[in-house]
Amino acid sequence: MRTELSTRKVRGDFLARVEELSGQSIWACYQCGGCSAGCPVAEEMDLLPNTVIRYVQLGLEEELMKAKTIWLCASCFQCHSRCPRGIDISKIMDALRQMALGSGPDRCGPDEIPASELAGAPQQALVTVVRKLGN
Amino acid sequence: MKLPYYPGCTLKDRTSQLESTALAAAEKLGVELREIPNWTCCGAVYPVSETRIMNLVAPIRILKEVGEGGDDRVVTICDFCYNVLKRANRAIVDDDVKRTRMNLFLSDDDRRWAASGRQVGDGEAYDGGVKVLHYLEMLRDEVGFEKMAAAVERPLKDLRLAPYYGCNLLRPAQEMDFDDPEDPRIMEDFIGHLGGTAVAFPYRTECCGSFLGLSSPPAARRLSHTILASARKNKAEAVVLSCPMCFYNLETKQKELAGEYPGFQPIPVFFFTQLLALALGRSAEELGFEEHAIDPLPLLQERNLV
Repeated sequence: MRTELSTRKVRGDFLARVEELSGQSIWACYQCGGCSAGCPVAEEMDLLPNTVIRYVQLGLEEELMKAKTIWLCASCFQCHSRCPRGIDISKIMDALRQMALGSGPDRCGPDEIPASELAGAPQQALVTVVRKLGN
Repeated sequence: MKLPYYPGCTLKDRTSQLESTALAAAEKLGVELREIPNWTCCGAVYPVSETRIMNLVAPIRILKEVGEGGDDRVVTICDFCYNVLKRANRAIVDDDVKRTRMNLFLSDDDRRWAASGRQVGDGEAYDGGVKVLHYLEMLRDEVGFEKMAAAVERPLKDLRLAPYYGCNLLRPAQEMDFDDPEDPRIMEDFIGHLGGTAVAFPYRTECCGSFLGLSSPPAARRLSHTILASARKNKAEAVVLSCPMCFYNLETKQKELAGEYPGFQPIPVFFFTQLLALALGRSAEELGFEEHAIDPLPLLQERNLV
């Protein structure tokens, strides 16, 4: 995949929008990788959590909007609890999800969940899926 | 002791055994948990995005009504509800903008109720004065683990139990202020005071997969399998937890795990309140084991606990 890096992207409004939605300082991250080391879902991700932050720093919006990672973050807050810079990465993931959902379809909703699961899943799981992966 | 109690949605339906055993155990310990009136869903997830402030309305309305009822504490059991209510309350204390916006919205609410002739709110602003307690904290801080231990009629002798914390009880640690996020003790202390043995295992604070159980099931199954296999490897005979979401991933999905992971050995999973009710002398029929995929009764029978 060809990735274009440019000062236009780095200084673009994408980064500012992610900071506004997440309330987190993107430039606080110095890429230690501790978040990715502790992330239980890293194995399934196409971009590791620290890579997501780096991509935001570089303004790579298109790559992030296509990434599987933002839909796989389970909001377990392990990265946040171990981040030496105090960044709440789950908030950045939620900001990216919110941006992707604003310009695209719901990622998962009641229609995508098999009826057998709907019958047995706890109510909180259904509400969470709709809130995290839908608009 | 009387304490207001917020049940949340899941305890009224899918995991009613969590509520029934919690209430039965509390009664034995002299605590009357009074369900608060007019409660709604808490929203299940704390709205982390700064723009989704309206998602705070449900939890703050619940807490405001507790305060208006003259109480300064509320007990809840589900880890998701605990996380949402506690963080929402903290936002009201710490964040001037959120407090002002919530109170403006809720004052409208009070006026609407008043217009319909129903007196609910007193029009006062909510300042975050209600303390949100998890049932485990109620046991430790309000009842006292020593008093709980003294009420045990049936010690869980020689039962090797793996305490599983998951995410929402502990993290984000600064906001939750519940226990050490990397090395928590409350479940171990709880098990010890009931006469059981808490097994150390490395995955007790790892995520079970949470809502990925619905949206990305293979990832959730891998996480759940890692946790359960680790508990087994460390010679646990059962897992103890408090969250209905964890129960869904770690208990009800075990038959699927057996098909996917060769050599997987099923392991019974208890809500901590089921073990508490059992230790306090409640009968096995009252513990709701018929809702479990992995029947815990053979293990309890072998230990003469039922």
